[in-house]
Amino acid sequence: MPSYSLNDLAARLIASEATSEDHRDILELLRVLSADPSLPEGVCALMGDALVRWNSTLVDERARATLELQSVVVAAQNRLELRERLAHVLDDAPAQAAAPAAPAALLPPDSDLSLLGDFIAESRELLEMAEAGLLALENDPDDVEAINTVFRAFHTVKGTSAFLALDYLTEFAHHSESILSRARDREIRCTGGYADLALRSLDMIRSILDAIQNAVDGRGDFLPAAYDRLLAVVREPEAAGISGVSVGAVTLPAIDAGETALGGQDLGTQRRRSTDRAGESTVRVRTDALDRLIEMVGELVIAESMISQDPLVRQGGHLELNRKVAHTEKIVRELQDLSMAMRMVPLKAPFQKVARLVRDLGSRSGKRVEFVAVGEETEIDRNMVEFLGDPLVHMVRNSVDHGIELPADRRAAGKPEHGTVRLSAYHASGNVVVELRDDGRGLDRDKIVRKAIQQGLIASAEGMVDSEVYDLIFAPGFSTAEKVTDVSGRGVGMDVVRRNIEALRGRVEIQSRAGEGTTFLVRLPLTLAITDGMLVRVGAERYIVPTLNIHLSFRPPRSTLSTVAGKGEIVMLRDEVLPLVRLHQLFGVSDAKEDPTEALLMVVGDGAQRTALLVDELLGQYHVVAKTLGDGLGRVQGISGGAILGDGRVGLILDVNELLSLARHVDAGDPHHSPARAVA
Amino acid sequence: MMPPAAVTPSATRRAQAGKYLTFFLANEEYGLEILKVHEIIGMLPITRVPRTPLFVRGLINLRGKVIPIIDLRQRFGMSREGAEDSCVIVVQVHGTQLGVVVDKVSEVLSIAEADIEPTPSFGVDVSTEYLLGLAKSDGKVRLLLDIDRVLTASEFDSVQAVAGVEG
Repeated sequence: MPSYSLNDLAARLIASEATSEDHRDILELLRVLSADPSLPEGVCALMGDALVRWNSTLVDERARATLELQSVVVAAQNRLELRERLAHVLDDAPAQAAAPAAPAALLPPDSDLSLLGDFIAESRELLEMAEAGLLALENDPDDVEAINTVFRAFHTVKGTSAFLALDYLTEFAHHSESILSRARDREIRCTGGYADLALRSLDMIRSILDAIQNAVDGRGDFLPAAYDRLLAVVREPEAAGISGVSVGAVTLPAIDAGETALGGQDLGTQRRRSTDRAGESTVRVRTDALDRLIEMVGELVIAESMISQDPLVRQGGHLELNRKVAHTEKIVRELQDLSMAMRMVPLKAPFQKVARLVRDLGSRSGKRVEFVAVGEETEIDRNMVEFLGDPLVHMVRNSVDHGIELPADRRAAGKPEHGTVRLSAYHASGNVVVELRDDGRGLDRDKIVRKAIQQGLIASAEGMVDSEVYDLIFAPGFSTAEKVTDVSGRGVGMDVVRRNIEALRGRVEIQSRAGEGTTFLVRLPLTLAITDGMLVRVGAERYIVPTLNIHLSFRPPRSTLSTVAGKGEIVMLRDEVLPLVRLHQLFGVSDAKEDPTEALLMVVGDGAQRTALLVDELLGQYHVVAKTLGDGLGRVQGISGGAILGDGRVGLILDVNELLSLARHVDAGDPHHSPARAVA
Repeated sequence: MMPPAAVTPSATRRAQAGKYLTFFLANEEYGLEILKVHEIIGMLPITRVPRTPLFVRGLINLRGKVIPIIDLRQRFGMSREGAEDSCVIVVQVHGTQLGVVVDKVSEVLSIAEADIEPTPSFGVDVSTEYLLGLAKSDGKVRLLLDIDRVLTASEFDSVQAVAGVEG
């Protein structure tokens, strides 16, 4: 029998042009390889399966089958390599191999990759539950429900990892579990050092899972660096000096319970409710499939609106047709609502991360911080959740590091030693509002102004109201920290907050009172998939202005219009003076209405940015599916994206904040000359 | 050997033998690597995008997808006179789709290695950085385009910045 290797097969596949001759050769190669005694069993089995499938491949399917076979060969090669590496290590260090703590390769040579993927996803969920449980335990070490949740999570991870032969993980989870089982048996109390150790073990298991994921993806095969060290501690915690004595841990009375917790009620029932959530019947769906579904429904909505706005339908006279169209419209809208609801997730996960962060930041800086979360069941588009994570982290860091004072200072100021950080979320007028409030020292206006002048952000703070001064902390590179700490002071951070939130088409506001604390108010749309917008006309062009940005619109009487120093235009609205920005000038539209008394002014922007935007007319309110303009166009200032309008044309969605800063720059330069090109 | 006068940056790709889609801009015939071409479509209504350079004609709705349309005549600084704008070639550049407006699509042509010549230098007045080379066959010369270079985002940004300052 001739001897072939996997490489021969791989080479033959690349050269294959799906002819009969290729087919026969590959068949022969597969036959030899599937019976090759020098190959590991798993690889032979793979080849055998492929042989059966290849034999039954029809002529016109051969091209596709070749591709499939190629991926099988890659998988087989990976297995061989792993096997070789493993053998190598075993030969080199037989003594080490005997010790379970000296792992050779993360993945066993014949692991089922799809099983591993499921395991990783499930374990991550379990760990999240365990983390919530641990944080709850720290507050109430006798919470039997919580310790059982944590124990079960570790136990399941351990059991499944043993089944998958992930030895390092099993080993580690086993020892972590022993600590928890001692806590469950009331031998130790899960506080102080033990609680810290349990949380760190949890992080380690997360890191191991990441490492496994990396190995599965073929991006290296390494255990987390601190594995051995932490394993030694977990094995014999007492020997490493771990005890239940509190080391200034942060108290966390109410992760789930929210406001009522402050009244000192029993939290047990509420906590139990949140851990029982898994009882609902659910099905796992790939996120990209879900995204695609929602995208398609979006297209359906647009296609449907094209039909209902077709002149043939609108002109009437076709009663039966109109009835059918209206019926379809109703179904499509419901379908849209339903599909959107499928992608909504509660804010629980990011809130929990904040809970952990507050605990860690507080204990590191020697501050005592109480964390209160309200409304974590508030739902938001899952695609937005990940973008919300970073801003939340930076805002919380700001609150704990800069806001909350040291216990001694708080006592001196007549405040309770415990600082409170309160994170709440709720729905308000079609938006999601996330509010982060601390009862710390509040923002220091003078200090911000001093730093801002020092860093050249402003020349002087004359005439600036507080909210404008507070806004300065969102400037890139701005920091008032006197020294750079591990936590904050590098001047990166708060600009991330504003950038991310504006990328989500949201707004962020700061309210602060010296000595009483600071509140960050973040307003977000429910979803990014559909933009609620007002279609406006400017000359022959049409633009979509997100409804979230529009406060009101009005046609100004002549008497309310005037100019400042002969150039800057302003308009009086009731008692308010607003700068007037001409959209047609900014965008170089030539055939627009020039006289504001014949056109329309839209009030957009917040606080200092509040501006009256001149447009020709409003064409109506639309729900549009926002799309990017594509990388091909680069970044277009003042435009956040595009959308297909009812008539099939592309409409541009305005980015109001960017538009207004653009207008300011144009004003600062030459107010009579717009840099935009005129329409040809 | 490359003539020393042809100062081409080392990163410049050379044209390779293969199939090219050829099209006309004014009287000049250009070639585009067939693998870059996605499809050819007729003219669709274009939405103008403000504050972009002149060669960006705007956006079209390609079966629910928003793609930008580039005017190659404007891109190369050619006059718009006599432009037919008959069709749009949709190309795939760095994973994104873009449409380029051309006067007329000609044919798909196989070009052999031997027929390809490096781009000669025309001095400072004529920019040749968008060309992969020249192809001569049937007694005609076709300009082989480096479409990636013509349509990369970084180019756009710099052009945009310049347009902003000059405007």
